[in-house]
Amino acid sequence: MSGTRPVVYTDAVAPLRERTREALADDELHGNLATAGASWAAGRARMGREHPFAQMRERGRAIRRDNIRHLPELLARLEERVTAAGGTVVRVSDGEAACRYITDLAAARGARTVAKSKSMATEEIKLNEALEEAGLRAVETDLGEWILQLAGQHPSHIIAPAVHLNREQIRELFAAESGEEVPDDREALVAHARRRLREVFAAADIGVSGVNLAVAETGTLCVVENEGNARLVTALPRIHVAVMGMERVVEDWDQAAHLLQLLPMAAIGDDAATYVNLITGPRAPDEADGPEELHLVLLDGGRAALRGTDLEEALDCIRCGACLYSCPMWRSVGGQAYGSPYSGPIGAVITPLLEGMRGERSSELPFLSSLCGSCHDACPVGIPLHDLLVRVRGRVATPTHRRDRRLFALWSRAWSSPALYGASRVGARIGLRLFGRRGWIGRLPGPAGRWTEQRDLPSRWPPRE
Amino acid sequence: MSAERLVAALERRRATAQIVPAADAAGAAAERVAGWGSGRVLLADDPVLDGLGLPAALAAAGPQMLRWPEGRDLGWRDLLGLDGAAATCGVTVPALAVAERGTLVLAAGPGHGRAIDVVSMHHLAVLPASRIRETLAEALTEAYAAPGRAPSAISLVSGPSRTSDIEKISTLGAHGALAMHVIVVEDR
Repeated sequence: MSGTRPVVYTDAVAPLRERTREALADDELHGNLATAGASWAAGRARMGREHPFAQMRERGRAIRRDNIRHLPELLARLEERVTAAGGTVVRVSDGEAACRYITDLAAARGARTVAKSKSMATEEIKLNEALEEAGLRAVETDLGEWILQLAGQHPSHIIAPAVHLNREQIRELFAAESGEEVPDDREALVAHARRRLREVFAAADIGVSGVNLAVAETGTLCVVENEGNARLVTALPRIHVAVMGMERVVEDWDQAAHLLQLLPMAAIGDDAATYVNLITGPRAPDEADGPEELHLVLLDGGRAALRGTDLEEALDCIRCGACLYSCPMWRSVGGQAYGSPYSGPIGAVITPLLEGMRGERSSELPFLSSLCGSCHDACPVGIPLHDLLVRVRGRVATPTHRRDRRLFALWSRAWSSPALYGASRVGARIGLRLFGRRGWIGRLPGPAGRWTEQRDLPSRWPPRE
Repeated sequence: MSAERLVAALERRRATAQIVPAADAAGAAAERVAGWGSGRVLLADDPVLDGLGLPAALAAAGPQMLRWPEGRDLGWRDLLGLDGAAATCGVTVPALAVAERGTLVLAAGPGHGRAIDVVSMHHLAVLPASRIRETLAEALTEAYAAPGRAPSAISLVSGPSRTSDIEKISTLGAHGALAMHVIVVEDR
């Protein structure tokens, strides 16, 4: 990763095994994940009936492959058009540089309050922490993100960040934040948040948004949402800062229209999001609203180095979250257990890539997958995520994995010899009898104990019912 | 007919919509605003509204009438409905609409504040039927085809504001309009 300093996430408190064990024991979490998963699957099935999804997916894949192949040209054109429309474009190599640009800008303009709309890129660069360190008040305004901010947690899902919390947990958070009595009613909770967050929109000096897609042809940033907070964030404050992963650029409106339709289909099982905000530069001189300044922060953060490698397709991702819902691992442990803002199959692939294959998560996350391929089926732009997972596994080999390799080599040599194979059978029979209780082994010592932690092993064949 | 398909698509998205001849548009708008009980109306400055006699018809019911951009002078707190301000109905005139998916294309400009529909509690859109297009690609290509600078903001709006962040159940009125009504005016 020449030239870029990857972000290494340091906020994972417990090792993966402990995080997953905790998640697996959480019945409430399982209930919430099941509700969320079922609702996604129903919407997705409806989309399959109403639209030629397979063809749309093929076109989506062709568009994204083409975009990444022409990334440097598209970025140059985007930069030129955004600048021509009166915006400021800054390219940053890593998250630290992105945060520094934004905090410097805030200091120069005397800003105090920052209203944010949902953005995975700002989670990736840990912008909120940087803003708070700089003495600014940063408030998430997407309802799910705000709930998480109040709970002091990271998003568990790209699209639906607070899927793991139920209504009563949310009510308690709202009551604690406002010091008010908050009724235990879904609509009243939404109305409460609406009023509290309007205070933030009215006070904010800077609005920070992400970018779902940028259209090179006209220099337009597309921000997709359902709540309306992204529009308020990009229309009311004096300054709008958009943070965008550099891979999210498309060529023209024909491509953009297709992806803008595909994104909500895959994400929420609907063929349109409620709001799509298309922003071309700051407000014109004869307009009465809109920001006076627009800053586009183009983040590399390890992305450029992926072009031309066998992991390049990870850049095709449009962050819809479909692979998360489809993943049996994610549906079992939820997003929190991944310990990265990006969870699920795509998170298991890009977290190591963006971290430069360093850090604990890089060596763990690619293995939090059964390689069943359902993520590939769910992906609206056809990323072969299961192949990428295998490739990333190959790159993050650690001492443990090297030890595994030696063990497998030893095993292979042993079973290539008829005498040693026979001896191992005798040894196994003795071992099974030693540990077996009524035909089953419930616990094994040493490293083998990890296998029996979740399952029983039959000590005779066929196993006893 | 594309107008009928637009209405059907909007209704699927939990908006309401109706098709009226030009002569009935002002009456339909006044009825809707009365139904919502809006204490204040914030109108885009667009000749289409004046041509239909809409401002006068709405004023007759007695709400506070604000026209963009002067309405902006109240300040965001007031327009956002804070400090006990009256519930506002924002009235917009979309540049285009997309029939197949029930989407309005709101283009920002001197008379068209980009936040009119989301600061308001209710959103009333008045759309000449000739502005309806079939697909999103068609509408966007047309919206950005004009020479010169592209509109600084275009908002695609497909129904009232919603969130599914609590229990994955869709709830209306998250940050933008709680309800949205579209009056499609026959003009050909």
